[in-house]
Amino acid sequence: MLGPTQFLVWSLGILLEATVLVCAAARHSFRRYFFLNLYMGTTLLVEISRFQIVRSFGFSSQEFAYFYYYSDALLTILLYFVLISLYALVFDEMNAGSHVRLGAVLLLAGTALFSYAVIYQSSGKILSRFMIELSQNLYFVGLVLTFVLWGAILKLRETRTRVIQFVLSLGVYFSAFAATYALRNLFPNLDWPRTYLVPAIGFLLPLAWAHAFWRVPEEARLAPARLAVVPR
Amino acid sequence: MSRKLTVIFLAMFVLVGAMGLKTLVAAHADGVVVANGTGPCPPLPPNR
Repeated sequence: MLGPTQFLVWSLGILLEATVLVCAAARHSFRRYFFLNLYMGTTLLVEISRFQIVRSFGFSSQEFAYFYYYSDALLTILLYFVLISLYALVFDEMNAGSHVRLGAVLLLAGTALFSYAVIYQSSGKILSRFMIELSQNLYFVGLVLTFVLWGAILKLRETRTRVIQFVLSLGVYFSAFAATYALRNLFPNLDWPRTYLVPAIGFLLPLAWAHAFWRVPEEARLAPARLAVVPR
Repeated sequence: MSRKLTVIFLAMFVLVGAMGLKTLVAAHADGVVVANGTGPCPPLPPNR
């Protein structure tokens, strides 16, 4: 059974996700950052559907559990495409679009194959296990990809403030996820990471993206010296 | 051709790194954490 605090946090999250879309549309950045907005729009729809399922079937129902984990896998795949779209933006001037796409498809296929190899001998509902395993593995792939992208941003002296803010927000988000994952596995009996920390992490991306769309203009640039001190 | 091979190598390198990191963080454990959205996370489905 969910308490009023959890419902309040959930509703605030939904409101914040809608705010990102409104801010992106208001600043005419919807198409430029299409995958970010697609991810946020899908998250919004999924959250509203989850809300309805909890109201209809209850929090502990199988319907909610299945819908939650299947929809999470879908959202994680979309988040992966967000990251790839940021790669495409950073490597835009190098005309490396086709190589980024090739790498992205290979990596996604490799992760799916690895996930299948982990679960294929298990009994029970293999599709559910696969979706959960794929989702978890993609989080870690996302974490590594984000740090590689941050390295590329420093090396290429990327100065677009918005792009930098998007990449940094993803870095914080994936790192927080990995920390929660480690905490859950170190202390499996602890319930508060799942109850409080996971929803708190869910706030990170909408907050950072809404701020980036609303407060940071598309033309804003950071001086390279403020990113890293590189010997000349 | 060599650029394509480099891309393939990099993709496999990232995959190995990510799975290595996952193993390091949670060896022999079965914890599941998801963080898309701010909704509460339900228990795993039975016989998943």
